[in-house]
Amino acid sequence: MNIHTYEKIWLIGALALIVGFIATVTYGAAGAGVAMVDASGGTIDANAVTDDEDFGEPRVEQVGENEYDVYVIAQQFIFRPDTIVVPANSTVTFHVTSIDVIHGFQVVGTNVNTMVVPGQVAEITVEFDEPKEYGILCNEYCGQGHHDMEGKLNVVPEDEYGGESE
Amino acid sequence: MSADNDTKELGHEEFDPIGTLVLIGIYFLILVGMWIFTYFIEFLGNGPTVIG
Repeated sequence: MNIHTYEKIWLIGALALIVGFIATVTYGAAGAGVAMVDASGGTIDANAVTDDEDFGEPRVEQVGENEYDVYVIAQQFIFRPDTIVVPANSTVTFHVTSIDVIHGFQVVGTNVNTMVVPGQVAEITVEFDEPKEYGILCNEYCGQGHHDMEGKLNVVPEDEYGGESE
Repeated sequence: MSADNDTKELGHEEFDPIGTLVLIGIYFLILVGMWIFTYFIEFLGNGPTVIG
């Protein structure tokens, strides 16, 4: 088969582009360590979330030297706790569940983002290097107060962290 | 003007659409540039990122 030289160029270019796309995503997962939200958080009875030993008291809990677990309940139209405070240079695992409808949990301006489905626990682990104040938003339409559904995430300097959460 | 003058035979490699090649080259570079921007700057650059 006789293929024109130019046609060979863009056939090879198109193939290289596809290989390049796959290579960059592979790099993101293997090199940069980007993880997808999976089912590792398990399930929970959406009608008995407050009876759960972890979600009964939504909070920040220190579980290691620089490791924290955060239990968050999303409901119409608030997050509990409303303000999450964690120290900088920490690894934080958010466990988020809903007691009513589907919500979203997004730390604004970052890739920290998950759906919050009633009956499921969304579990995402994040490293916070620098002190910074973030907003948290619900990004799944959840009812008439959806636009007011927000929280705060304060990453404070390590020496100012006192374990408080409101 | 006769019909003979309007017709020109071209060999396979004589057909030389250099403009098309340049245009596709430009599209290709735009695509690569936008992918780099989207993935490495918008996505990976927007830390913190979910790591587990």
